[in-house]
Amino acid sequence: MFELTEPLKMLEQALRPYCEKELSAKVEPLEKGEVAVLDIMRDFDRAFGINAMVSGALHEMIERKCRREREGIEEKGSLQEVLAGEVGEAMDPLLIFIVMKELCRVSPSFALSLGAHIGLCGQTILAKGTSDQIENYALPLFSFEKLGCWALTEPESGSDAFALSTTAVPDGDFYVLNGSKTFITNAPCADIFVVYAKIDREDSKADKRMIHPFVLERDNEGLSVGKPMHKMGMRGSPTGQIFLSDARVHRDQLLGKREKTSRSQAQETLTSEREENAAMAWGIIERCLEESIKYAVERKQFGMRLIEFQLIQEKIARMYVHLENVRNLAFKQAWAMREGRSNILDACAAKFYAAAAAVEVGMEAIQLMGGYGYIEEQQVERLTRDAKLLMIGGGTSEIQLLNIAKELVRDKGLSLSLTGGLRN
Amino acid sequence: MNMVVCVKRVPDTSESEVHIDGSGKGIDTSRLSFGINECDNYAVEEAIQKKEALGGNVTVISLGDKQSDEVIRMALAKGGDDAIRLEDEAFAGSDAVAVAKALAAAVKDVEWDIVFTGALTDDDGYAAVPVALGEILGVPFATYVKKLEVMDDGKKVKVGRELEGGLMEMVEMTTPCVLGIQTGINEPRYASFKGIKQAARKEITIKSASDLGLDASDCGEAGSWAALEQFTPPVVGEMAEILEGEPDETAGKLAGILKEKGLV
Ligand SMILES: Cc1cc2nc3c(=O)[nH]c(=O)nc-3n(C[C@H](O)[C@H](O)[C@H](O)COP(=O)(O)OP(=O)(O)OC[C@H]3O[C@@H](n4cnc5c(N)ncnc54)[C@H](O)[C@@H]3O)c2cc1C
Repeated sequence: MFELTEPLKMLEQALRPYCEKELSAKVEPLEKGEVAVLDIMRDFDRAFGINAMVSGALHEMIERKCRREREGIEEKGSLQEVLAGEVGEAMDPLLIFIVMKELCRVSPSFALSLGAHIGLCGQTILAKGTSDQIENYALPLFSFEKLGCWALTEPESGSDAFALSTTAVPDGDFYVLNGSKTFITNAPCADIFVVYAKIDREDSKADKRMIHPFVLERDNEGLSVGKPMHKMGMRGSPTGQIFLSDARVHRDQLLGKREKTSRSQAQETLTSEREENAAMAWGIIERCLEESIKYAVERKQFGMRLIEFQLIQEKIARMYVHLENVRNLAFKQAWAMREGRSNILDACAAKFYAAAAAVEVGMEAIQLMGGYGYIEEQQVERLTRDAKLLMIGGGTSEIQLLNIAKELVRDKGLSLSLTGGLRN
Repeated sequence: MNMVVCVKRVPDTSESEVHIDGSGKGIDTSRLSFGINECDNYAVEEAIQKKEALGGNVTVISLGDKQSDEVIRMALAKGGDDAIRLEDEAFAGSDAVAVAKALAAAVKDVEWDIVFTGALTDDDGYAAVPVALGEILGVPFATYVKKLEVMDDGKKVKVGRELEGGLMEMVEMTTPCVLGIQTGINEPRYASFKGIKQAARKEITIKSASDLGLDASDCGEAGSWAALEQFTPPVVGEMAEILEGEPDETAGKLAGILKEKGLV
């Protein structure tokens, strides 16, 4: 359970030199916004044949959904199924973890953008879209022709995401969308937008309005995007706002094409974002530890190697403890996913721990390298700034803690509210 | 056109200090990471490119223990079709000639037009296996191959051999032949995700010395022309001056010497 299978080991071995040579050479231009993140994704696809691997399964999924739709049955698609590819065997969730980990050793920004493109935008379309929506919107994502983004957060609703105020007002065969989204990964350069809005019928009460994902293209009238935001970290991943001003979208752009009556829709995707977090932390921690050991062995002060000082040994030993814990969490999560035993409690605990561990290890790596750690040439400085996002994106660390407590007393018949006290 | 490509798993010594082990006949590999020999990686790519262009089959062969499966599988993931691994205690202590004897014996059971090897290995660096293999098989061979063109429906090849000073020697030869591939002949690909999945299920045939029809006298030290006596670190010769001290000190001294001799 704690060992990579042969193909996953090979995957790691194949990814490592790619990341260290090709991706690493792109980090600086990417951070400076001189190359488009989609171009690097295309390069990644050329190297590893992502599209070639998934296209057969994607087309099969489309056909199957199509048949089912004719029978009047709705069926979910999933990223897992597509990644299993033509070979058809169940996909090990560790595959995504290993990819994310290896990418994060070099560029967490690239991993974040790829995650939003495939894991959030692509996955939502596969899960909720109809066969023709998958064909129109997911195929170009998986062939890396178009860049995707997934927009839930709004200026006035972050942690309280479901309090969003973007509205979709039905108008014949159309909906008219108004509102804005912020902090959206890939938005400044995206071609395909999955946007959550509340369907606002005249007759529906404000608290009964259902949140639905719509899929829009860049040239949709009424849709515009802001410039990439200047951020503390993840600078290689463009983040920005989306403005919807009387954006008319056809009924066919409502994902699933049918209005639903449940709230769980967006939540499902949020869980998967949480799960990838541990893998991202794993990569950052692994790299920071390696760089720290290398440095501590080479650098001399007071006529001794740094590693001879016990305070430095402590730092390195603590980093390793975090690595070991985060790696185990990733293996545990992958196991739970394989066995269909994932749960919110453990996912939140893992995200909380892994994010904090990545930040701590990064900060300690900088400290261990002194002035050299603080300057940009040492990768640990960037990795640490990037790591901080893990405590914010996909649910803040505080929200994870609240969810953990909530889950822990659920079986006592208590339903804790995120704002304190009990939910009524 | 059918091809065989011979690969070897070697320690990566480019970024680590190398220490001689207790026996004096090897290096301490316990702390080294291993991977495919660099030239072999290009040989694999060349074989696969030729297969993609002309059709045929690529068989990957490696002499080594179970751990060599790792480099074999990667070659399969990139597009190799079949694999054979030669493993036997009798192979221990083989020099380039004994290795070539084993490879030649393995190749006899395979249909092939070209056998690719790396031009030399990163560990021993004799550059002798392709030559010995060509001799034993009794076919034309070329080493340091940096260009390859297949002609006359695969009956002939034109190869460019990289010589000193960037000179390229162009040679035509008939197939079957053995080619020792030099780095830079192509751009080795990464194994695709799909290829990796498929490679994991491919079978690697294991063959022992007796499976290959080899006697004890063909294998290991007995089958070798050269025997490894001992590894020693370079001795300080009369003309050599070893600079001692911290890097910033020694760099200064070195710069001084170079300037003094008018070399910079
Ligand atoms: C680089 C980046 C990329 C992102 N990408 C995307 C994306 O692709 N798509 C998308 O939809 N969103 C994205 N986000 C948004 C992200 O999910 C939100 O920033 C996050 O959910 C937090 O919301 P907020 O920023 O509004 O903070 P707030 O919710 O305003 O929180 C502010 C602080 O208050 C705390 N807090 C809030 N509520 C409580 C409470 N009940 N109890 C205790 N403490 C509380 C928080 O933990 C935090 O410390 C991204 C954000 C960043 C920075």
